[in-house]
Amino acid sequence: MKSINGLFLSLMLMCTVSCTVVKEYNKIAINDEDMLLSAVDCERFETNFQIYREAAAGANGGKTGGGCGCN
Amino acid sequence: MDVIKPYFLLFFFLLGGIVSAQTIDSLTQFKKKILESVEVDILMSYYEQEGIHAAVSGGIGNEYLTNYAPTIVVRMPLNEDAILTADVGISAYTSASSSNGNPFNQSGASNRDEDEETPRGNGSSSGSPKGSPWVASTGASAKDVLTTVNIGYQKASDDRNQYWGVNAGGSIEYDYSSLNFGASFAQLWNEKNTEFSLKGQVYVDRWNPIIPTELHEYELFQETFLYNPDSYFSGVSITDDQGNSVAGYLPGNFTSYVTVKRNSFALSLGLSQILSPKLQGAIFADLVVQKGLLSNPLQRVYFQDRENFYIGNFRSIPQYTSFENIDVFHLADDVERLPSQRLKIPVGGRLNYYISEYLVLRSYARYYSDDWGIQSKTLQFELPIRFNLSWKFTPIYRYYDQTAADYFGPYNTHLSSQEFYTSDYDLSDFSSHQWGASLSYRSVLSQLKIFDFGLKSAQLRAQHYTRSNGLSSFIVSTSFKFVLDQ
Repeated sequence: MKSINGLFLSLMLMCTVSCTVVKEYNKIAINDEDMLLSAVDCERFETNFQIYREAAAGANGGKTGGGCGCN
Repeated sequence: MDVIKPYFLLFFFLLGGIVSAQTIDSLTQFKKKILESVEVDILMSYYEQEGIHAAVSGGIGNEYLTNYAPTIVVRMPLNEDAILTADVGISAYTSASSSNGNPFNQSGASNRDEDEETPRGNGSSSGSPKGSPWVASTGASAKDVLTTVNIGYQKASDDRNQYWGVNAGGSIEYDYSSLNFGASFAQLWNEKNTEFSLKGQVYVDRWNPIIPTELHEYELFQETFLYNPDSYFSGVSITDDQGNSVAGYLPGNFTSYVTVKRNSFALSLGLSQILSPKLQGAIFADLVVQKGLLSNPLQRVYFQDRENFYIGNFRSIPQYTSFENIDVFHLADDVERLPSQRLKIPVGGRLNYYISEYLVLRSYARYYSDDWGIQSKTLQFELPIRFNLSWKFTPIYRYYDQTAADYFGPYNTHLSSQEFYTSDYDLSDFSSHQWGASLSYRSVLSQLKIFDFGLKSAQLRAQHYTRSNGLSSFIVSTSFKFVLDQ
């Protein structure tokens, strides 16, 4: 259980670390569809049953746009 | 003339400004549409679960449930900067637990469903009624269909550094209806390496309360409900623990619902950051306030300090909590009672790492806390493995745990003196594991066509879920994304 708590905290901390600016031409990996910071389309059904079967919900938002260097 | 001159100067100054702006506009670099073409997503899922802690029968009983949910999502570019999204779906379920709102239908003894307004006499005319929390009834609440419609509009700024959105929608099923509307804003900066998002959502919901049969009769006939000729219980034998026929059953704790409204207000904040050319993450925080009827009117509660009363075969009472009981049902002392307000605070984060062109690690973590005493943690990992340009296989694992709500107690353990109580195991202390995989196909040239729409991608996803308190389920979902040919 302690290891799960540690892993959880590590992930949360890593999310808050800011690094240098990545230029548009260097965002090939970032623009990969699997790098999207949101759930995949099919996951909505799993999220739906989890909302019913578990008390916790939310804080699962997606990225509105950007990061794609598409303009 | 001297008076008019300044106005001429101002006019030409403004005209010059407009001409100048148009010149600059025409020189602005090519602006790509935020959505190139109409996209249609066809989504479907099938869900099935088993369990032994049905909330409708007070935390004991059959939780078998199936759900089939087809959905269609259409995204339409309105112009270079704006998208309109329509999301329409239905969710059709059958539930053994919900069916036991009136558990006596399985024997054909009940003369009406729990949601009928007018009684048609007692149940004794067609034989001695019996029921069981382990056997699904044929009552009206055994199945239902939830219909959902949501419309959204999103607009981006010319430089694609701001996004605004509004949305509205609603859903309806037999005993519940909901309207929602919201607005969102996102700001990107730092060469689109950083994004801050803000979203507000309001849900205005309304119950059409369906309550357990025995409480429904008590609500209608009060103290006379055991012998009033119009009551279902007129002439029906009610027994105590020893099988003695008694007339002392009186669910005095039960009171009719004063409010049937439930309103929810959600504020969501998000901050995402590109951390390196192969790593990006985001943190999300929500603040959710719910007010109104937050309990489920169909979910029974039994008090340990009250005498027990049954309908059915009293010889099955010793094995009441076992699935071997198929013919006796414990009459409710009350339905669950929960506070009329709840504050939820989930904080989550995503971290995705591009290991190589064949492999990406997607991770998600969340901590949740509310003022009902529940705390929970969620961890999820996905590992998309790409075989080639078209095919991808993704193993998925999710861990979840939560502490129990302050008001939770198992079957027949609550006290009648408590203000709030529930035996819904969704609010109990448990951990769960969910594992599965998805298989994805992406069509590079969208060669497969239906009318003018080409298949862009397809996904099949299957998950198995086990909970430490006996519930297990699996879900299979599919998605097909089509794009209109230009």
